[in-house]
Amino acid sequence: MSSNEVVVVTWGRGGEAFAGEVDDILTLGRGVAAATGGALNWLTLGPVSDTIRQTAGTYGVANIDHIEDAKLAEFSADATVAALAQYCEQHSPRVVLIAQGFDVRLVAPRLAAKVRAGVVMNAAAVEVDGGGKLSVTASAYGGDTRAVYEIAGERACVVSVLANAVLPEAADAATTPAVRDFAVDLAAVDERIQVLEKPKAEGPRLDAAEIIVSGGRGLGDAANYKLIEELAEALGGLPGASRPIVDDGWVDSSHQVGLTGTITRPGLYLAAGISGASQHMAGCSAAKTIVAINTDSDASIFRYARFGVIGDCLEILPELIRAAKS
Amino acid sequence: MRIVVCVKEVLDPDAVNNYALAGRLEIGDDGKSLTQAAIPRLMNGFDEQALEAALRIKDTGVECSITVVSAGPAPGDILKHAAALGADEVASIEVDPAALDAHVIASLLAGYIRTTGGADLVLCGRQASDDDQGVVPALVGEMLDLPIVTIARAVESGDGGWRVTRVTPDGDEVVAVTGGAVVTISNELGDPRYPTAASKIKARRVKPTVVAVSDLGLSADDSEPRVAFTKQFVPTIQGNCEFISGDSPAELADRLIARLREDSVI
Repeated sequence: MSSNEVVVVTWGRGGEAFAGEVDDILTLGRGVAAATGGALNWLTLGPVSDTIRQTAGTYGVANIDHIEDAKLAEFSADATVAALAQYCEQHSPRVVLIAQGFDVRLVAPRLAAKVRAGVVMNAAAVEVDGGGKLSVTASAYGGDTRAVYEIAGERACVVSVLANAVLPEAADAATTPAVRDFAVDLAAVDERIQVLEKPKAEGPRLDAAEIIVSGGRGLGDAANYKLIEELAEALGGLPGASRPIVDDGWVDSSHQVGLTGTITRPGLYLAAGISGASQHMAGCSAAKTIVAINTDSDASIFRYARFGVIGDCLEILPELIRAAKS
Repeated sequence: MRIVVCVKEVLDPDAVNNYALAGRLEIGDDGKSLTQAAIPRLMNGFDEQALEAALRIKDTGVECSITVVSAGPAPGDILKHAAALGADEVASIEVDPAALDAHVIASLLAGYIRTTGGADLVLCGRQASDDDQGVVPALVGEMLDLPIVTIARAVESGDGGWRVTRVTPDGDEVVAVTGGAVVTISNELGDPRYPTAASKIKARRVKPTVVAVSDLGLSADDSEPRVAFTKQFVPTIQGNCEFISGDSPAELADRLIARLREDSVI
């Protein structure tokens, strides 16, 4: 049995950098809570910053639930899952909302298994009908279709939500959320995965970039990827890539934008020689402005683009580098 | 040593994408199945790479048997394909797809592994290219109480366990687990091998071990779906692309940059 509560869960990054990243799931959560008739709570693993308090108030959160434990200081899947499971066992939320990210792909299903809840990844919408029946709409076939999953009976569900699935909307009336400490017992938890080599994060991350210039097979050859890097630099952005050129080894997979790469949300996403396969668009359709350069005027990417240039990106990119620098 | 690779049969995602791009993807009367009968069925690409990861471990001289198992409706040729690629055993857990969700599928796979001698390594694709959910491996790991290492590009045997290279947004991360593990494989592993003509012919005679669900020792809860897939639809995209015109690449570039500056995009 679950209560009618909805809980938005966040962790990591010192508890500071959540503004702008949780706005959409808090908005989604408020709508779901209104439909289930339960409270909207925000559970954070880590310190409760002023940013969290303000954001929570803006989006109508009732309580900020807060867990701190030495074993959660650095991300550990085993400790995170154990802490969330203990919280869920006590509070029995009906819906657990988490913004989809790399670690969430592991934590969400593991949590669901522990608390015998349903789990849906890649979610774009959560609906509750008049009878309290919960259903989740998720992206499928790399974004070509949407699948709808109905949660069985009164079961709880862990929902991993795609970036920008919902337009953020502040609550009509701001709240002053209460902060509630929740004690967890992680004494028995020892992370089973030992990190031998940490990832060597080189510079800023794609998922935080304001401007991204991406290239695809239309570049014709691996050597031409330097045009993408040069234009990205000229615009003050980062270079990205479609999956085919990553699979072909033209560029490292840390540059891959898409459903199986990085989900980005830049101000400007410039796609050169990318046809616009759904699985790629899943990683960039949240961009405020998409610019597409493609020789094929029927290319799918133009359906998503705000501005389009029909032409050979190998001819246009050098001119764009020149124009951007002028 | 025993490696179990879990595989799923899917509709060819490239063919589905081609229909989608042509605006011809349609949903059938049941409200959830794709109607295009011409789309070939094949082994989920990430699962094929999971099998490749197992074969690469064997190639390094590790003494192991590779079992490939699939749960769902009767699989077509994917298990023969697995045999042709070098699986030592192929097994099929045949069940009615109507009452299946990720939880039930995971229960079947975990039940199979548990009742057939366990596994030192369970390999799965990071997600299936049809539903994209990618939750079954984590559920299997929880049920077998094994650590789960996701989104790997390489798996090696070592130090009484496994050394795994994961593809994270910050670059590669190398981790180690002692004992058994569930590892999910991502496309960064690289292209899987092709079966030889001879191995294909030999694989034609391979009969999958058919596993009865009643032998898996599942509880009522194990067999109770958490979610039901009820509907599928094709999303509509509202295009409003403004095409930049110009007589030369230089002119196109100048106009585009000017337009982006005008809108304060850059």
